[in-house]
Amino acid sequence: MTYVVTDNCIACKYTDCVDVCPVDCFYEGENMLVIHPDECIDCGVCEPECPADAIRPDTEPDMEKWVTFNQKYAERWPVLLSSKEPLDSAEELDGTDGKLETHFSEKPAEEAA
Amino acid sequence: MNVQTPTKVMPDAQTVTAVKHWTDTLFSFRVSRPQSLRFRSGEFVMIGLLKNDGKPLLRAYSIASPSWDEELEFYSIKVPDGPLTSRLQKIIPGDEIILRPKPVGTLVLDALLPGKRLWMIATGTGIAPFASLLRDPETWENYDQVIVAHTCRTKKELAYGSEIVEALPKDPLIGELVGNKLLYYPTTTRETSDIQGRISDHIRDGRVFQTLGIPEWTVEEDRVMICGNLALNKDIMGLCGNYGLCEGANSEPKHFVVEKAFID
Repeated sequence: MTYVVTDNCIACKYTDCVDVCPVDCFYEGENMLVIHPDECIDCGVCEPECPADAIRPDTEPDMEKWVTFNQKYAERWPVLLSSKEPLDSAEELDGTDGKLETHFSEKPAEEAA
Repeated sequence: MNVQTPTKVMPDAQTVTAVKHWTDTLFSFRVSRPQSLRFRSGEFVMIGLLKNDGKPLLRAYSIASPSWDEELEFYSIKVPDGPLTSRLQKIIPGDEIILRPKPVGTLVLDALLPGKRLWMIATGTGIAPFASLLRDPETWENYDQVIVAHTCRTKKELAYGSEIVEALPKDPLIGELVGNKLLYYPTTTRETSDIQGRISDHIRDGRVFQTLGIPEWTVEEDRVMICGNLALNKDIMGLCGNYGLCEGANSEPKHFVVEKAFID
């Protein structure tokens, strides 16, 4: 199994999860994080740390599409090794429905200089 | 294009300083501690060995030593065909293992609200994080009573835990703090012993409370830490729920915590 990041991360990207991941398996897009399903060890430490409650075990119903989604972008985006400031829109958009359709960016995060 | 993925940390080697084989299936070992490594008692790290292809093979291991110890201690099963433990069980002092210096976990005092009694419930090698917490002065400063409930198949498998528990009152650093706060409840499931059966059954029918002479769980007074096989974790979480206890985390301390990285 694996844990996955779901749509409420989009446009928030709090990144609290990154500091508690023992295997550094979070990958960073422009406005979302994903978990690499092949690297996650299912330790579950990140799940309760997410302020947006966006992390779920794939054992919950209807998570198959999120496993595929996380896998796809984990292979395209750079790894994030430590937490950073959330996006400016985080508080305002936390809990907004349908962010995958309205706010998601496929772009990888910009590399720090 | 000049997009670079940050390089992941290269293998962090530490030297094995001691190994003790407790049974055919259980052993503990100590390794050097990276000077910069700080951790909270109860946390785990990734440790392992290099595979033949040069890539690291890592598994999550609870640190069994307290945070003040100069070295790090681990307690492990031996699985004959286990990718890691089939090789790890052969280490001897002087060998090197990989230890990623990023300790994390939810089995920490910080993830619990203040309470009167702290319950540590483990099966098998799930006693490891408690071996760390039991030797941490903060545990004894924070609670009036600490209950260690350890379930194994046989009496021999209880030995690592019972040795640590029995040494506590005599410990030069924390012996005085421990005083008469410690209650030990070892049970076996496949061998005759003083207390037999699964700890969950002893909680469900009230035997453990009666035997130890302490009240049943309440939201106000009791805190529970769980580290065992999946069946035990589910069972005890269910029982916690029946008593109205809620699961805590680092970001939101509550009444009980569970180690999900544990694999037996």
